[in-house]
Amino acid sequence: MTSLAPEITTDPSSGSPPPRTVGSRHVGRWVWAAVVVVLVVWALRSVALNPAFGWSTVGQYLFTTAVLRGLGTTLLLTFATTVVGFVLGIGLAAMRLSGNPVLSSVSWGYVWLFRSTPLLVQLLFWYNVGALYPQLSLGIPFGPTFFSVESVNLISVLVAALLGLILHEAAYAAEIVRGGILSVDAGQSEAAVALGMTRARVLRRIVLPQAMRSIIPATGNMVIGTLKGTSIVSVIAVTDLLYSVQTIYNRTYEIIPLLLVATVWYVILTSVLSVGQYYVERYYARGAERTLPPTPLQRLRKVVR
Amino acid sequence: MSLLEIRGLTKAFGTTTVLDGVDLSVDAGSVTVIVGPSGSGKSTLLRCINHLETPDAGTISVDGSLIAYRRDGEVLRELPERTIAAQRRRIGMVFQQFQLFGHMTALANVVEAPIGVLGRSRRDAEERGRALLARVGLDGREDAYPRQLSGGQQQRVAIARALAMDPTLMLFDEPTSALDPALVGEVLAVLRDLAERGTTMVVVTHEIAFAREVADTVVVLRDGRVERVGPPAEVLDDAPVA
Repeated sequence: MTSLAPEITTDPSSGSPPPRTVGSRHVGRWVWAAVVVVLVVWALRSVALNPAFGWSTVGQYLFTTAVLRGLGTTLLLTFATTVVGFVLGIGLAAMRLSGNPVLSSVSWGYVWLFRSTPLLVQLLFWYNVGALYPQLSLGIPFGPTFFSVESVNLISVLVAALLGLILHEAAYAAEIVRGGILSVDAGQSEAAVALGMTRARVLRRIVLPQAMRSIIPATGNMVIGTLKGTSIVSVIAVTDLLYSVQTIYNRTYEIIPLLLVATVWYVILTSVLSVGQYYVERYYARGAERTLPPTPLQRLRKVVR
Repeated sequence: MSLLEIRGLTKAFGTTTVLDGVDLSVDAGSVTVIVGPSGSGKSTLLRCINHLETPDAGTISVDGSLIAYRRDGEVLRELPERTIAAQRRRIGMVFQQFQLFGHMTALANVVEAPIGVLGRSRRDAEERGRALLARVGLDGREDAYPRQLSGGQQQRVAIARALAMDPTLMLFDEPTSALDPALVGEVLAVLRDLAERGTTMVVVTHEIAFAREVADTVVVLRDGRVERVGPPAEVLDDAPVA
């Protein structure tokens, strides 16, 4: 009679170890890696050795006062735009999600208007705001005026640039924040409200911190975009990084090396921002994952040790 | 005198009537279990008590004061948000899906409202928070995030979080329905302990055995109306429910 039990083909008492497995050699992978490495080396070599890139000129201008001052302006514009833009954006998102139909519609209208016109056009508008409103006054709407100034005196090119960038940023920030808030389970708000919290406290303590997890990646994108986007203010003669190198090459005609100076700084700044984003994301991931994976630095330390 | 008094509570979602003139009295220190088929309005009834749902008509009062409304002749006018928030502090609620705050540790979940809403000092709140976590059997898990806890543990933290406000009334909305059968017992044990300590509780559940053992009053809801109400021995033994 045949047994239904599985047949034992190897005798465990014989002591011979089970056969070892060997992974695929991945021949194709090696070939493609070699081809791409050759191409990258060739490209880097040409960039390094082509005298037209003028690397010595790049080094000469990288830390000059004019360039560093331009860099400072670019950083100021990026910082102010991001911070104020997001504060306004949180307000707009809260308006949009509020039960008040007027606030909700105004918020929608704002986002619609500022997203549907190019940033460059908005900047030119603020630059020329003196033509629209020659005088700006502080007072009560339809009521008395406390004081007024000439627009051209108040709105310098830098203020025009800031206004344009911030109001544009706020529209996009509002959508990022709104998306983040909607990603948090409505039950979280109910649980918080049931504990006797007011809606404002629920937003600040319970919803926004959890919304950050989906807000941060989009914001990282946004900040990097803003950093590079500030270069557009050079068209209204704000002495940012790009405008500063343009001023120099208009005098010396060393166009490519000076554009490279700007490029090098932009790359350094975006790299710093990317690293920052990584750590901020980690911070807000607490509680969302059971254990956090080690950072690249921690991994490196483990390898070195 | 009864702690919770519901009179003529009516609520419709669109054209569907969910609650159709519900009357209910809950005595202080008693356990009331609400049972009934799905869609009978059990959860809506519970959620009206702390105004997570807005009723269309009827009154709810806790400890003699109307919840979320003031009487103005023929109508009830809704109170301002802050007043309702203050009333909710006295009513603890435990949800089917726990709803622990995911970005906070177990202890932080428990002390968030006592500190932020009641204005207690962090030291006092944490001391009491630890004691409550110990009472629900979660000694040593104070620093765990909700995702690091099992469903049963999360629900017990949620109960501690509600108790931290020293509520006069505790509402439980199907507290064991989202749990694996093996974890139901540990949550019911906490509920049993609360009942023995004289906590006034209203529990919506499908756990008939629990109702039979712990409830002082069982309410059978069907199609938005109270079908039967009374001690478990009278209500549960003849008619099949659930």
